[in-house]
Amino acid sequence: MDESYDVVVIGAGFGGPVAAKKCADAGLKTLMLERSENVGEKVISGLTIPVYGFLFGPDFIRDGNPPFERPADGIINYIIKDIDTGDIEIDDTLRVPRPFSPVIAFGYNTYCKPFCQWEAKKALESGVKLRTSTTVTDVIRSNGSVCGICLEDGTRISAKIVIDAEGSQGLVAIKAGIRKKYPPEAISLSDTYDYEMDKSDVDRIFGYSVRFCWGWDEQKIAPPLGHGNGLMVWPYRDSIHFIQDHCLRLDGRKVPNLKKRFKEYHDNITTKLPWWSSEVTPKSKIRARMWEGFEIYVGLDPDLRNMRNHDDGIILIGDAAGLESTELCDGVPAAWFSAEIAADVAIEAIRAGNTKKEFLKKYDERIKAHSVIQWSISGENRYNLRYAQETKDIRLLKKYVHHAWGMAQLTHSLSPILTLSFRYIRKDPTIITKWIRMYFRYYQNWLHNSYDYQENREKPYDPTRRPVIGETVFRAFVGGLDFILWILGPVVKLLAIIGEKLSWLANPAMKLLVPVIRPIYKILRKPMAPIGNRLAEKIIDFVDRADPALFEAKNSKKMAATLRHTREV
Amino acid sequence: MPRTEEKFPGVEWIDGTGDFIRVDSEKCTGCGNCVNVCLGDCWEIVNRKARIKTLATCMECASCWYVCDAGAVLFSWPKGGTGYRSEWG
Repeated sequence: MDESYDVVVIGAGFGGPVAAKKCADAGLKTLMLERSENVGEKVISGLTIPVYGFLFGPDFIRDGNPPFERPADGIINYIIKDIDTGDIEIDDTLRVPRPFSPVIAFGYNTYCKPFCQWEAKKALESGVKLRTSTTVTDVIRSNGSVCGICLEDGTRISAKIVIDAEGSQGLVAIKAGIRKKYPPEAISLSDTYDYEMDKSDVDRIFGYSVRFCWGWDEQKIAPPLGHGNGLMVWPYRDSIHFIQDHCLRLDGRKVPNLKKRFKEYHDNITTKLPWWSSEVTPKSKIRARMWEGFEIYVGLDPDLRNMRNHDDGIILIGDAAGLESTELCDGVPAAWFSAEIAADVAIEAIRAGNTKKEFLKKYDERIKAHSVIQWSISGENRYNLRYAQETKDIRLLKKYVHHAWGMAQLTHSLSPILTLSFRYIRKDPTIITKWIRMYFRYYQNWLHNSYDYQENREKPYDPTRRPVIGETVFRAFVGGLDFILWILGPVVKLLAIIGEKLSWLANPAMKLLVPVIRPIYKILRKPMAPIGNRLAEKIIDFVDRADPALFEAKNSKKMAATLRHTREV
Repeated sequence: MPRTEEKFPGVEWIDGTGDFIRVDSEKCTGCGNCVNVCLGDCWEIVNRKARIKTLATCMECASCWYVCDAGAVLFSWPKGGTGYRSEWG
């Protein structure tokens, strides 16, 4: 072997740096390999990272200052019944209501490259070694166990454990005989456009909401229902991302001419959809056109879903492990969760001196026990849309849209999210105030554009005005809550244990409640809007002027000390 | 020097990838699936066999590899530090 490490991580996208950082923080000699010249420049997506990724993801992301393009308050669905007559229905019931939004966000939109670079930088600060322009061609085995990797120039690097964060194609895992190639029915090709637009126009036309469009196949406005995404638009700071994606093959049928089809859909949506042609087209200028495949339906196929994600000496994470969300089409939270689990298992295995699959199977067990990963890879509403198309049943179309991207999503997402929330509170009750600070810090960072994209670094924000009363109220509230959570820690932990046990009730409860809440929400939202908006403006003004120290993660010093201690051990 | 293509704004390509996609002509049935899914216009059918026209506009999505039922498309990663890159992904 030419070099030797405890852990080698393949890929520096969203998941790789998280796994590498955690291993290095635990004192393991860690190398991260990336095939592109600069980290993140081969990662392509239209991206809202759902907030549960930040709430339950790595501490350093939750408590840090990553680069964002815009917070998202939720989704506005356009159900296009007839594009020519303009018969379009809207379902915008999955949005965080005012005055909570936009500070309390549904997710955060970001460009992939700066975000991946920010993560990689954090990993390097923890002692991870990074090598770019480096393609891994295969694993090396000794007595059947993976004991390292081989690079394209023949260099052999030994590792006690390899963490494979290579992405959805999974070439290394296939070559190593761990997984098989996914069928084209499980893969969606996304056709992605980036448009420049003045911030004031993005603010006015899109605000904070992501737009999804769904329409009958005959409208030729969006990819076939159930076989990909209708169409999605993400508002960024001073640009928008537009994505249409389409499964490579539909139920064993002939592979469609996607080049022709995407062009047709793109032309139709940009010329026929009223708000696009009148509002977006005159104000936008195309800046980039890209495409990428992702494993949209792997979680729905039991054979693919149950493929092993580990072998002797190797663990697969993120897209390489098929952990793509079927409905939100977002792989980042699952990449972060699986990266942390993989790092934990790798650390345990190396400390125990046992990197055999009998030990590493803990990884797959923990992935299967992770309520949010399992929920996100098993949602069927997007897939089921094809049945609405077959029967041309508009009620069915609206139902699936409402259950996946409307308020009824809570009938299947609330239990897994509450389970995990209570589990985190059980471990550390003060995480509640960390979450609150995170929301405010992220929003303030966005408001003040607190990220230097040229230098790829966080830049300090120096406030010029300080609203004394607002700061005192916030400090008293969060400080008081911290104190209560600390004093009542054992009681809160006990309540969290009970909450975790009972969280399965949340989904059935929402099934009963959504039909009641939805009409009330519809009736009340208009008269309540002025009050909500006025309050939201006040909160935004407070965040704008507040001292950033108010929103800093309180535990950062303590956490750094703990990490140093762990490293020394 | 990175190369740009008028048809695909916002993306740069660095040459020197090597033949990271290859076709086994013996196995190829000429079905044209690879041609249909390639948004980079990298494939063509010549004499009822698939042929790579160019890899200069490939974005390494591997769609051609996924849709090849005959297993004739061989996909690997391009040489480190080469191929496409974008600021806007």
